[in-house]
Amino acid sequence: MSYTPLLQQLMEALRCLPGVGPKSAQRMTFHLLERDPEGALRLAKALTEAVERVGRCGSCRTLSEDPLCPLCASQRRDRRLLCVVETPADVLAVEQSGAYAGLYFVLGGHLSPLDGIGPEEIGVDALLARAREGVEEVILATNPTVEGEATAHYIGELLRELGVGVSRIAHGVPLGGELEYVDGSTLTRALAGRKPI
Amino acid sequence: MSERVSLQPAYVLHQRAYRETSRLIEVLSCDYGRIGIVARGARRPGSRVRPLLQPFVPLLLSWSAAGELATLTGAEPAGTALHLQGDALVCGFYLNEVLLRLLTRHDPAPELFSAYHEALGGLQTHGCDPTILRRFEKRLLDVLGYGLQLREDARGAALSADRRYHYEPQRGAVPADADRDAPAGGVAILGRCLQALAADAPLDGICRRQVQRLLAAILAPHLGPRPLKSRDLLLRIRRRRTTK
Ligand SMILES: [Zn+2]
Repeated sequence: MSYTPLLQQLMEALRCLPGVGPKSAQRMTFHLLERDPEGALRLAKALTEAVERVGRCGSCRTLSEDPLCPLCASQRRDRRLLCVVETPADVLAVEQSGAYAGLYFVLGGHLSPLDGIGPEEIGVDALLARAREGVEEVILATNPTVEGEATAHYIGELLRELGVGVSRIAHGVPLGGELEYVDGSTLTRALAGRKPI
Repeated sequence: MSERVSLQPAYVLHQRAYRETSRLIEVLSCDYGRIGIVARGARRPGSRVRPLLQPFVPLLLSWSAAGELATLTGAEPAGTALHLQGDALVCGFYLNEVLLRLLTRHDPAPELFSAYHEALGGLQTHGCDPTILRRFEKRLLDVLGYGLQLREDARGAALSADRRYHYEPQRGAVPADADRDAPAGGVAILGRCLQALAADAPLDGICRRQVQRLLAAILAPHLGPRPLKSRDLLLRIRRRRTTK
């Protein structure tokens, strides 16, 4: 069955969302137009505004419509600490832990030579410049994937040359997890990173 | 007709997002060579296979295949997990990038799988030792049918350690002073470096450079004109350290 051009266009547009296939796009389209036209207008307005006005924070490169994001602008954060993460979503995750009071730097990805992503693509030079601005310790919080590890290793070496303290977040067995079900790589890492008690 | 493969030793070479929630992984398997496998749902948070499907982790994979791409039906770790660190990771990426450039899918090469397995073991134990990479490149060329002639020189005489040669892909090692009418092109290399490469012996400083140049020249036409990003990264790391 075929839809009118505008319906077709909306369904195709919705499919740019992760996890949305043709069926879900069709369901969303009917829901928006039939059940919630007001919500649909709000969504359209919010989308347009956000896409037009949200850019990157000039300091940490997270998403922000202001030149400096609220975190970087805050006077309450510890400016001697810099936490390096892969994505803006990672900033949020660390923030929600409530365990960190320093500032951030968002790489926008990780080193992945096989995908053509090298040091330029993840803004290593910008990070080094940022680290020179009175930072005493950089915490490397890239993901515990092989690409994330390679990224941490590469950046860590450059930062140490600057005389900045460098640390890597610990990896290990998830809280509430059972050893029996933890994969070998994670256990190896957990054992290597053991601590005296 | 569909084929079911069970608990096949394999390594993930690369993976990328595929369709809405899946990943397409390129693996090097022991008995089936390079295979493209779709891991359904492997991008969902909490996916059980996701942490497992990483490069450099020895795996036992099960899949069913009906066309060009297979579908993953099971994944478990095989034996002790490797733990590559630092430069060894970048060297590992290099091996993977070379394999993806040179291997076509569905071309079984068990010898290559064991060469790769050994190379990763070497990287884990010794870090990114160039000798490990050269040994792997040599075995890869053997498997692909472009193997080097290292037993004797181009005229069938034994290689002599102190002699200079020019290695040409078509002719082999031509003694540097042999043939004034047909001067050899190819890569200049000492006899003892060819012997060390043949014997998988450790390479000294001179041989390391010469053998590296030789293998790079032989591999180049097969790798194509696009530069290898992982090799660039490795060179950049090395250069920075030596200029310090
Ligand atoms: Zn910021």
